[in-house]
Amino acid sequence: MGEMHATALTLAPLRSLLRAKFPILAQHINGQPLVYLDNAATTQMPLAVLDAMRQFDTTTRANIHRGVHTLSQRATDAFENARETVKRFVGATQAHELVFTSGTTEALNLVAQGLSNRLDGRVGAIGPGDEIIVSGLEHHANLVPWQQAARRSGATVRILLPDAQGQLHIDDLARLLSPRTRVFAITAGANASGERPPFEALLALARAAGAITVLDAAQAVAHSALQMDTLACDFMAFSAHKMYGPMGMGALVGRRAALERLTPLRFGGDMVQSVSYKDAVFAELPARLEGGTPNVSGVVGMAAAAGFIKSIGQHAIEAHLADLRQHTVRGLQQIDGVTVMSAQTRMSAIISFVVQGVHPHDIGTLLDARGIAVRSGYHCAQPLLDYLGTGPTTRASLAIYNTHDEVEQLLDGVAHAIGVLR
Amino acid sequence: MSAAPAAGANMSVDLDLYQDIVLEHKRAPRNFGPLPGATHRAEGTNPQCGDQISVALRIEQDRIADVRFQGQGCAICMASTSLMTEAIKGVPTDAAMQLQTRFRGVLTGTDEPDAAYLGKLISLAGVARYPSRIKCALLGWHALGHALQSPLPGSDNLAVPTL
Repeated sequence: MGEMHATALTLAPLRSLLRAKFPILAQHINGQPLVYLDNAATTQMPLAVLDAMRQFDTTTRANIHRGVHTLSQRATDAFENARETVKRFVGATQAHELVFTSGTTEALNLVAQGLSNRLDGRVGAIGPGDEIIVSGLEHHANLVPWQQAARRSGATVRILLPDAQGQLHIDDLARLLSPRTRVFAITAGANASGERPPFEALLALARAAGAITVLDAAQAVAHSALQMDTLACDFMAFSAHKMYGPMGMGALVGRRAALERLTPLRFGGDMVQSVSYKDAVFAELPARLEGGTPNVSGVVGMAAAAGFIKSIGQHAIEAHLADLRQHTVRGLQQIDGVTVMSAQTRMSAIISFVVQGVHPHDIGTLLDARGIAVRSGYHCAQPLLDYLGTGPTTRASLAIYNTHDEVEQLLDGVAHAIGVLR
Repeated sequence: MSAAPAAGANMSVDLDLYQDIVLEHKRAPRNFGPLPGATHRAEGTNPQCGDQISVALRIEQDRIADVRFQGQGCAICMASTSLMTEAIKGVPTDAAMQLQTRFRGVLTGTDEPDAAYLGKLISLAGVARYPSRIKCALLGWHALGHALQSPLPGSDNLAVPTL
């Protein structure tokens, strides 16, 4: 099935060198070599990231800030250097700051709660009668926090719905924007469908209308060079574990002026300037939004992951992933009864598909028996899949270490599964 | 065969999980559709995939006189529910409840699969080796458990059967 890919041949030696940097890939699952195609859920970590974290934990680990001993100072330096690395990675300028979080979900909650919670009698940025526009492509993590923010503040959530093909349109956003629009939240890549919306133009339009703009970059940051200095974006959230970094680690980068408007999510140590028994004065950014001891080795790992991506280059990563996606989409479309979502999308690492009369859980189990890891179900985006009428899907998602040979194995596996189940 | 050995390299999922009888029930589910005159009904939902199974019973004198199910699910879910309806039709409610408990025990690894007792349901015992799929196989059975406790208003049989 499928044609020979010239790039697969020429790049094969390079690809195997690259794969050798990911120890987890060299194993068998159910007697077959692992074909890991669940990268939209979590990417694997290269040795550079694993080594950086091990190096920190074995030589530098101590609690950061305020310690006068040498190790604490070294740990603080490692933490703040990592912040600068990740800031540079996303094109943050003097006008921006970056706050470490446990992941995209916490980062988006920090924004949604931070804009809608009251603090010291100050009303939140979102108030009664205001409108929050959320795209219809979102992961639950960029929808549910806004539903809760609206409930808390008396605002309304309005959905920028996609068309029947799952695409978003600028004109539809123009119609939704109003003087009451306070926030516009959108993904840089839809995790359930693989759609790559025109988020740059949508963010610019929303900002021009006076909205606070929020970008969920979780599914894009591993391959796209998203630059805060060129995007009309007040807040951008992303996770380390979807960019070859550790789990339980992420960041919120934002314009300083926008971050200043957020009520902290966590009150406690490290986020205060002075405290009495009656009250507290909060610290400056970014400490104000980073209460408690952070995951310092995770931060170090996240910076190493950013360095790993830079060392390959986002252009090279995008070219490889776009090539693999096209191979996958074309192959799947040749199988009877398969419908690929957002098939026309070029730059996406996600291929989500449905098979007439065959359930994604059954496909997932039959692929797993061949060592192929994909995800099946709603992918935490139930409203979108219900709206488009596809129901649950099978999702294969790509990373820099995947190969055309693995795509062929996926295509064979899907054809086999359909043969068994029909 | 013990309850739940690890799925080995030489264990074919095609033969182990997707046995002919399972696929046959998936393709042509028995007792599928609405049940006129139902006295009890309940639904089960799997939030990860949205699969939904509704089980309707007509209970007459503590006996399941008829059973039908509706909804959508994966092959394991549909076959398991279809086989369940065959196994419980005409059976006293307490025996149906016992079977439900036993079948759940086999799939979750607390009970040994007993072919003499389980009958055709033994074909689903292999699901125990696929932890992520146990929910699929039990969705219809959970609905059955709830249905036995959920008499429909206006039916002649308002009493919850004695279990």
